Amino acid sequence: MRKISLTRQLIAGVLLAELLCAASFSGLALAHEMHGRRRAFDVMLRGRADSVLGAVQDAEDPEDNVAVDPTELVLPNQDAYEVLSPSGRVLGHSPASSPDLLAALGASAKPGYFSFKVKEAYYRALRLNGVRIIDRDDNGGIRRPVTVLYAAPTHDLWHEAVEAVQFYVVAGVVLLAITGLALVWFLRRRLSPLQELAAIAGRVSARSWEFVPPGDVLRTSELAPIALSIEGLLKGLRQAFERQRQLTGDAAHELKTSIAVLKSSLQLLTLSPRTAGQYEAGLAGLLTDTERMEDLATRMLALARLEEAPVESNESSDLPSILRNVAERLRPLANLKQVALEVTADATRKVALPADDAEVLCSNLIMNALQHSLPQGRVSATVQSHNGATELRVKDEGEGIPEAALPHVFDRFYRADRSRSRNSGGAGLGLSICKAIADRSNGAIRIQSALDQGTEVTVTLPEN
Amino acid sequence: MRVLIVEDEVRLANNIAEALRERCGFAVDCAEDGAEGAALTEYQHYDLLLLDLMLPGLDGLSIVHRVRKRKDMTPILILTARDERANVVELLNAGADDYLTKPFDLGELLARAKALIRRGKGVSHPVLTVGRISLNTVEQTVRCAGELIDLSPTEYRLFEYLIFRPRAIVSARELLEHLYDYNWEHHSNVIEAHISNLRKKLRAVGEETSIATIRGRGYRLEAPEKQL
Repeated sequence: MRKISLTRQLIAGVLLAELLCAASFSGLALAHEMHGRRRAFDVMLRGRADSVLGAVQDAEDPEDNVAVDPTELVLPNQDAYEVLSPSGRVLGHSPASSPDLLAALGASAKPGYFSFKVKEAYYRALRLNGVRIIDRDDNGGIRRPVTVLYAAPTHDLWHEAVEAVQFYVVAGVVLLAITGLALVWFLRRRLSPLQELAAIAGRVSARSWEFVPPGDVLRTSELAPIALSIEGLLKGLRQAFERQRQLTGDAAHELKTSIAVLKSSLQLLTLSPRTAGQYEAGLAGLLTDTERMEDLATRMLALARLEEAPVESNESSDLPSILRNVAERLRPLANLKQVALEVTADATRKVALPADDAEVLCSNLIMNALQHSLPQGRVSATVQSHNGATELRVKDEGEGIPEAALPHVFDRFYRADRSRSRNSGGAGLGLSICKAIADRSNGAIRIQSALDQGTEVTVTLPEN
Repeated sequence: MRVLIVEDEVRLANNIAEALRERCGFAVDCAEDGAEGAALTEYQHYDLLLLDLMLPGLDGLSIVHRVRKRKDMTPILILTARDERANVVELLNAGADDYLTKPFDLGELLARAKALIRRGKGVSHPVLTVGRISLNTVEQTVRCAGELIDLSPTEYRLFEYLIFRPRAIVSARELLEHLYDYNWEHHSNVIEAHISNLRKKLRAVGEETSIATIRGRGYRLEAPEKQL
């Protein structure tokens, strides 16, 4: 693909405009000059015609005619004149003029100025009707009307006009060249922030996220929005990459730690000979470790599955009945922890969730609430309709979540207090799974918490 | 020798502690979070610190920084699930002595722990000798001219601590701090009893090397001058 250069386009555009400007200016100047010179030429024609008229004299012949005496006239050689009597008879003409020229001159019948062309030469001419008074005396003399035709070539007129305008044309071209060069320099200089921006943006890669737009770019009103949006975009991308890397790292950490526990437990058992009782205790511990690892793997896979595939549109489940079942299953655990588990979900409400997802959602939320409850506490789970959607609320009266930790509770592997959560068995995936389930069915999940008062998780699901 | 394990995975910490007690005869304390671990290091009772990298409260790297900042020379072995090179370089540059990536081999961990303690005390070989007596830290045995001396685990630990610092005066308090973990009731007369048993056993094999009591200051492992 051919690249389009802004600089070149701008320079070409400005130079073209300047050229048009200079050309029209020169044209106008030429037209103005021509107009002035033509008027002067006409005045000159008139003057010369008058002097021809003045040269009309009595011919001293029997018919009492008049004639032109060329000896009295000092006129340019290339000019032509003809003097006609009212009857059309030629009284005299310029001696050096060719017959063609005289014929063309005599062709005009109207008085006034006119132009014609003879043998590639242009002429301007005047037909002047005048009266010549001969033998002037006290009675006034004899009035002899004559017509004077006078023509002069105009090629000098054109040359003179062009010469006069030439200065402007040359000056225009010189100015054009100077401004063109100045423009190139200026544009290069002013467009350097654009090149800097391109260079800096070009250095950005998945390994190097450094993008600091220079001051020049930020001070340019056209470039600042581009630079800022690139900066924002890169920041977002970088955070996404960081999150992904963090996530992979965390997953690896969890898995490796689980394996380390398992391996060290086994190696400890084989370090020295043990009694049957020690082996039994060791094996029981190993079984617990394996179950925890299994749970971690199951949850990680569940999360991967939830985030990968979109929900089938026709799948739906009855949330209240699932919640009641899950609560009944978890009641022994609640009793063990001396926590009252209350469920308010009577009506049938279909939600756009596969049944097993709905079950995971309910059990994760209730398990979480139970784990964070203190003895004699209370956990309540309710399903109700709210603004055309179904709301599942699970509330505990536990120790709550610190405000700083709230935005992260849905992050995978996040634990507000890692040591305690680890001992209670979670890998920090429960709420991430709940969020993935809610997101997958176009629902929403939010959490409210106050320290030492408790936590409430609300899941809003579209009704089916 | 006394070791501190800072590891939030309690099962793992317990396994390591059990192995260190059983195979090396070390006293072991465990801390579950970084802040608690960092507070424990301030007593400087420990001959080795075993730190997990990702810890609640304060991470392993920050503990390394703290320990090294107060010129504490205690050897540090890091346990990490991350083995990216940059991480390892950062750790070692911060003052950690060695690292192991999870999942690790328990036997390797024990060997590294012992090697780090030896190095921390300026000894490079696992067999230490004073006079005719040699102590093998791998086998946990003490011999006099090749003949095995039968010591109880506590006597062995006491002797091991003393043999790392021959001719230096070691107070009863230091011995208590370095040989017993926090689950032990501290009584200095326990030390006195073990020292006395140890003396008897050394005398029984006719060894000139003896443990002298410096009144009001502690104990000293003394060997005939020319043989040291």
